[in-house]
Amino acid sequence: MLRRISLLTLVLLFLLAACGRSDRDADANTEGTNEEPFRVAIVLPSSTTDIAWSQSMFDSLKDVQASMGGEEALRIAFSEGMFRVTDASAAIRDYASEGFDLVIAHGAQYGNSVFEVASDFPETSFAWGTSSDTGAERGITNVFAYGAAANEGGYVNGVVASMLTQSEIVGVIGPVAGDAKLYIDGFIRGVTGVKPDAQVNVTYTGSFSDTSLAAEAAHVHIQAGADVLTGSAQQVVGAIGVASENGIPWLGTQSDQISLGPEVVVTNQVYDWANVIDDMIAKISADEFGGTAYTLTFENGGLRLEFNEAIDIPDDVKDAARAAIEDIKSGAVEQFSDE
Amino acid sequence: MTDELFTISTLIGILHSCVRLATPYLFASLGETFGQRSGVLNLGVDGIMLMGAFFAFYVVFEGHNLWVGVLAAIVVGMLMGLLKAFVSVTMQALQGISGIGLYLFGLGLSSLLFKTLIGSVEGVSGFRQVGIPFVSDLPGIGHIFFNHNALVYLAYIMVPVSWFVINRTTLGLKIRAVGHNPEAADTLGVSVNGVRYATMMIGGALAGVAGASLSIGLQNVFQENMTNGLGFIAVALVYFGSWRTVGVLAGSLLFSLVNALQLWVQALGIPVPSEVAVMMPYVMTIVVLAFTARQIQKPAALARSYERGE
Amino acid sequence: MNSTPTFISTGQRSIEDLFAHGISKPTAGHRAVNFRLNAPYVQMYDIVKRFPGVLACDHVDFDVRRGEVHALLGENGAGKSTLMKVLYGLYQPEGGRILRDGAEVTIHSPTDAIHQGIGMIHQHFMLVDTLTVTENVALGLKSSRGLLLDLDRVEDGIRELSEAYGLQIDPRAPVWTLSVGERQRVEIMKALYRGAALLILDEPTAVLTPQEVEELFVTLSYMKENGYSLVFISHKLQEVLAVSDRITVMREGRRVGTVSTKEMTRNELVRMMVGRDIILEQTRDEVEVGDVRLRLQNVSARGVTGQQALRDVSLSVKSGEILGVAGISGNGQRELAEVVAGLRPHSGGSVEMDEVTINDWTTARRTESGLAYIPEERMHDGIVRDFAVSENLVLQEHTREPFSHGIFLAFEYIARYSRKLIQDFYIKTPDIRTMTRNLSGGNIQRLIVARELSRQPKVLVAAQPTRGIDIGAIEYIYSQILEQRDRGAAILLISEDLDELLALCDRIAVIFEGTIMDVLDRNETTAEELGLLMAGVDPANQEGAQAGVPAGAQA
Repeated sequence: MLRRISLLTLVLLFLLAACGRSDRDADANTEGTNEEPFRVAIVLPSSTTDIAWSQSMFDSLKDVQASMGGEEALRIAFSEGMFRVTDASAAIRDYASEGFDLVIAHGAQYGNSVFEVASDFPETSFAWGTSSDTGAERGITNVFAYGAAANEGGYVNGVVASMLTQSEIVGVIGPVAGDAKLYIDGFIRGVTGVKPDAQVNVTYTGSFSDTSLAAEAAHVHIQAGADVLTGSAQQVVGAIGVASENGIPWLGTQSDQISLGPEVVVTNQVYDWANVIDDMIAKISADEFGGTAYTLTFENGGLRLEFNEAIDIPDDVKDAARAAIEDIKSGAVEQFSDE
Repeated sequence: MTDELFTISTLIGILHSCVRLATPYLFASLGETFGQRSGVLNLGVDGIMLMGAFFAFYVVFEGHNLWVGVLAAIVVGMLMGLLKAFVSVTMQALQGISGIGLYLFGLGLSSLLFKTLIGSVEGVSGFRQVGIPFVSDLPGIGHIFFNHNALVYLAYIMVPVSWFVINRTTLGLKIRAVGHNPEAADTLGVSVNGVRYATMMIGGALAGVAGASLSIGLQNVFQENMTNGLGFIAVALVYFGSWRTVGVLAGSLLFSLVNALQLWVQALGIPVPSEVAVMMPYVMTIVVLAFTARQIQKPAALARSYERGE
Repeated sequence: MNSTPTFISTGQRSIEDLFAHGISKPTAGHRAVNFRLNAPYVQMYDIVKRFPGVLACDHVDFDVRRGEVHALLGENGAGKSTLMKVLYGLYQPEGGRILRDGAEVTIHSPTDAIHQGIGMIHQHFMLVDTLTVTENVALGLKSSRGLLLDLDRVEDGIRELSEAYGLQIDPRAPVWTLSVGERQRVEIMKALYRGAALLILDEPTAVLTPQEVEELFVTLSYMKENGYSLVFISHKLQEVLAVSDRITVMREGRRVGTVSTKEMTRNELVRMMVGRDIILEQTRDEVEVGDVRLRLQNVSARGVTGQQALRDVSLSVKSGEILGVAGISGNGQRELAEVVAGLRPHSGGSVEMDEVTINDWTTARRTESGLAYIPEERMHDGIVRDFAVSENLVLQEHTREPFSHGIFLAFEYIARYSRKLIQDFYIKTPDIRTMTRNLSGGNIQRLIVARELSRQPKVLVAAQPTRGIDIGAIEYIYSQILEQRDRGAAILLISEDLDELLALCDRIAVIFEGTIMDVLDRNETTAEELGLLMAGVDPANQEGAQAGVPAGAQA
């Protein structure tokens, strides 16, 4: 009997630790304020500190919260590491039934779950991405969709890479083939637009989170002659480490990666979702629960290119990057006109 | 394009990658070998690795020596092993399930600690590649084998060390006996549970170092769930290697070789769909497992807890 | 340094010689020769050991002297193994004292026992198959090289001991390659190497061929002469009479008495064991032998693991005849019984009952046609453990009149019928509705025998019908089998007990590795001849076959 009890205690301990990963009580204690705060819940496929996709959205949410006046005005609840869609689906439903004003499902894989829950909770607003599907065709009116024109930043990083490379070989470390295609296609176009003979080697690790393989991929690219590297998804942390160790310039995307390689990260395409979030909150407050599809672009300020101020970037590189951004905004780069 | 794969420099590159990639697998699966030879299946390796990776990183991040980081990983790994031993040996919980519990525990706790103590992904300066004098200048071989960081060398040193411990020491004899016939060992005054505690702690220490090899050796960052299931592959490699250290070495190298190969195939732009390329290591593992499963070495008491009496 | 292996002469070597060659010195008692041989070495007083619901040892006294073989005799469940497990530290007694050389000792674990110079050879060998002989011996011992193994030194010690006591073993052989007899020697070696001065042997002959038994007895006598104390647990009277100096008989957890072997006869011992007279030597009436009832022609079959278990077996049993099948366990007996019963397909040949081929008959059809089967694994194959006694008694016939009418069971008739069988076959059960698994082994066997024999079968297949049951039940089953024979049934009796076969059978077939070595008339054969055949040796051309005794025959 004693054995059973102690075993049970242990199991509970395990579970407690395992559950430490979600922060569901952030909205507790709502009484005491005059005005009801706006309540947002978000379900993330990876960690809020993945320096990539999930972190970009979470950081933007925090920014919006700060600008609105802190916890009094905007309450955020989140569940991270929801790489299993069934877990995410349950979390989405939980948040909806707990009466959140907006439930964000931050992954293309969550689409079905979102539409299913959204039709059961018409008074709750939902958002999901990457997607442009708001469910309008199915008669759903309470879902927003969002995405980023990652190809734009890819193009700019590609232009930067072509200016930095001397070996004319550039390495790209992608996660799963389809997902990062937008960014990588833009990148290749940027490189070859400036240096048609340059070679872009692309490897996929087959995972968003296999940091070991991504790190090894960086080694492989370097040995295969690449002298500039880029890559996407949270797996790249290991690759940036390898780039740092070898002094190879790295071009970041999605989130701010400069802290990881202060000496090698040259530029960084950052997703800034603040405007999208602001707009959704405004619409919901006006009883418009969905129907809009957002895309982050340089034009609408959702995409930003950051230069690492700590390292000395040649002016012609900066100028070329800025020119590329202007070209995209003006529509001079035809590939992106239909976006 | 295919020709490029067979140039000398590419082959050297592939083998160099392979030797390095095998490092965490070696540590973790050698550790698991100790446990399984004594009859305890530990599916929690991945969780222990994460804890080891975190503590090694944290210690180094706080400005301490790299070897202090490794020591921290060892200590944490041993504590995790102790916990596993307590649950599955003393409490006799089902070994498979308690292993998964340990994995979740390690995953959750390392994430929690990371959030509270560090907060964002940061880089540290980890172990650097060190060429071994003289031999690293040997053509080809020098680069493949003798141009790595200290933890890579340590992983390969652990292979003969583990072999020696298992086959040439009294502890090793006890481990083999306990894993195969705990009743017999017990009648000779061998403490079955004691031996299993010992192997869990040895395995934990090695899994901890496996984690450290990632966070302060090969990648020099810590990220939540950075092992990405590597510990589970390590458990499979023990079966693959028929519970022998040499087999584990062969399995780790083969698995890493195919991984290195597929990266190179992609990097060189050889027209193989990337989906096929990334599948290669796993497909190969399954094929080899299917054809080489030699059960004779399998510890007969694997995953069975032991209680005296009739 | 290289000594010739003439073990008979070296058997007289002093033990000091052995220690001179690096064998670990025992902590106690090894200088036995210097003591008076009659002095009690280990004494147990007033030992009490309880298990839930059972008093396994009820205030038992026991002692063993130096240089003697002390037999511990009793039926299964009499408490003899329990008593010795207390001595070896596997069980903690509720009461009693243990003395060695007159001084009280406490034994909490086998380790303590080994420290006190007590070794035990278990009925089920405690060996690690995957390790070598030397590794098994070295396991758990302090190494002379600290943390490193000293297998080379242990190996030397094993060679010394094996010469001294006629224990022939290859120290480097992995245990899984050894025969049962060899494994037993490894067990003895383990105890000797640890410096045991007292060796407990728990039913050591149960798994051996007659030849191996003899070798064991030779070893035991060498050990005895060298001052070792030996406890020989057994329920086989003949062996006990042959090997022991004194006998302690136990019954139902109590010591009945301790006697000197020289002064005892077999019948006196039986009376002590059972509490009454038992006649195992059945009187056999001569019966007219009739037509062939069961015939196997060139039958081959595979075993559980897919190995070839039966090769070209041809046998026939006539009405009024008992054909015995002798052999060491695992040589195809089980498959043979199952093929006849229709539980196992055979790949070649034919099985005939009353000259009709029944190859593709189901078990049920065979049963209906007069085949009865007493299976070897009675708990698994003979009964449904969670059925009531009465349900098990009508297991085959419950679908027929008068046990049922249409789809309804005739409970009243079944109850009456069951009570009759329980009475006729002396099945000890509280009630006909008692769960069968709660019965003792002997009573379950009586139940099966009652069910099978009450149908007046034409052919009876009995596989190991007396294994593991008490001598009273054995006596009864013998008489029942003979009664069936006298009635005209054809009986195939599969047994590992040569005494049993010689007592009951008309003819005896010997099976070895799935092949019938020979079929002999009971009056024209001896246990020795059967034993050789069981080991795969044809006594007719023994010289040629001597080297060919396959070591792994039982593996």
